[in-house]
Amino acid sequence: MSSAFLTVVLAILWAGITNNFSGLNLLFGALIGGMAIVMLRYSIRQRGSLRKAAKVLALTALFFRELMASALRVAYVVLHPNLKAVVKPAIVAVPLTVKSDAEITLLANMITLTPGTLSIDVSKDRSVLYVHALSMEDDKALIADIANGFEARIKEVFN
Amino acid sequence: MIVDLALYLGGVLLVFGALFCLLAAVGVIRLPDLYTRMHAASKAGAVGGGLILLAVAVTCFDTGVFLRAIVGILFLLLTTPISAHLLARASYLTGYKPSESTHRDDLKTRLEQNRPA
Amino acid sequence: MNAAAFIDLASLVALVILAAALIASIVRIVIGPSLADRVLALDLMTVVAMGFIGAIAIRTGLMLYLDIAIALALLGFLATVALARYIMRRGLKAENADPEVQP
Repeated sequence: MSSAFLTVVLAILWAGITNNFSGLNLLFGALIGGMAIVMLRYSIRQRGSLRKAAKVLALTALFFRELMASALRVAYVVLHPNLKAVVKPAIVAVPLTVKSDAEITLLANMITLTPGTLSIDVSKDRSVLYVHALSMEDDKALIADIANGFEARIKEVFN
Repeated sequence: MIVDLALYLGGVLLVFGALFCLLAAVGVIRLPDLYTRMHAASKAGAVGGGLILLAVAVTCFDTGVFLRAIVGILFLLLTTPISAHLLARASYLTGYKPSESTHRDDLKTRLEQNRPA
Repeated sequence: MNAAAFIDLASLVALVILAAALIASIVRIVIGPSLADRVLALDLMTVVAMGFIGAIAIRTGLMLYLDIAIALALLGFLATVALARYIMRRGLKAENADPEVQP
């Protein structure tokens, strides 16, 4: 996404949020959006394209599906009459293959909002993510789940 | 017709959002330790709050309010995991022990290796 | 039942459920046992209060309430971040003073 396109999107978003589509307000939105982009220019990578939008959409769809699944899973655990039988917490070290800060942040956020897992800490050399699992049966399955699910999708989006 | 449909949908979303909020609160009371409670608060809480904001977005019939509600949902989904992560990290590193039923703790072994003898 | 009556009933039911959720999170704030538990319950309480305001917005039709709800969510996030940092600093200080003390 070029920064000019991003500025236009942010200007329209601003006009929508303030509910005022007059020319002056659009200009003001573009000004604020442009300032934000100038401030963030080092963290926004300039190699996106519209083809990537499909992958972003797929990731978003996967995320919302997993979010609903995780809420239902928590509901099942919380309402279970015998709590000790279903809650088997564990803290597992999950090796990371994504490297950049943005990717790790996105992955950690998504892990927190998906079924049964919560990210606690990242090791200093950024190679291991420590994940708390609400009820873990099999550590290999948990690690494989994260690596094949979100991590693979995030890599597709960023590369 | 469409207006009625949107209102029915909004009402259902509102009740479901409220139910998820209640589930999160019940989880925070019933679960055994801080980390498991955090699962309930971050997931069910975010979904509950998000569903209620979605209900507001569906029932308002106003572009500005709709966009603000959607931005509010995105904001909630971004910030809830961050605050849960920060709180979990702060309490783990300051020595809040996981409950007895935690059957595996990789982070503890790492911290013990790094601790100067 | 027409749509207006339905949304009226739904918002009333939602308000009752959310009130129960508020009370439950207050119970956790009172019984603790540690500071982190209380901060977590407080975080949940802000989200529930935000939902409460959203339900009131639907019930009254005054969409200005939505802005209040979003501002409350922002405030809750900032409060949790600040309290988490406070827990961290206080815990590390206690550890430096005496390694046996558990904060």
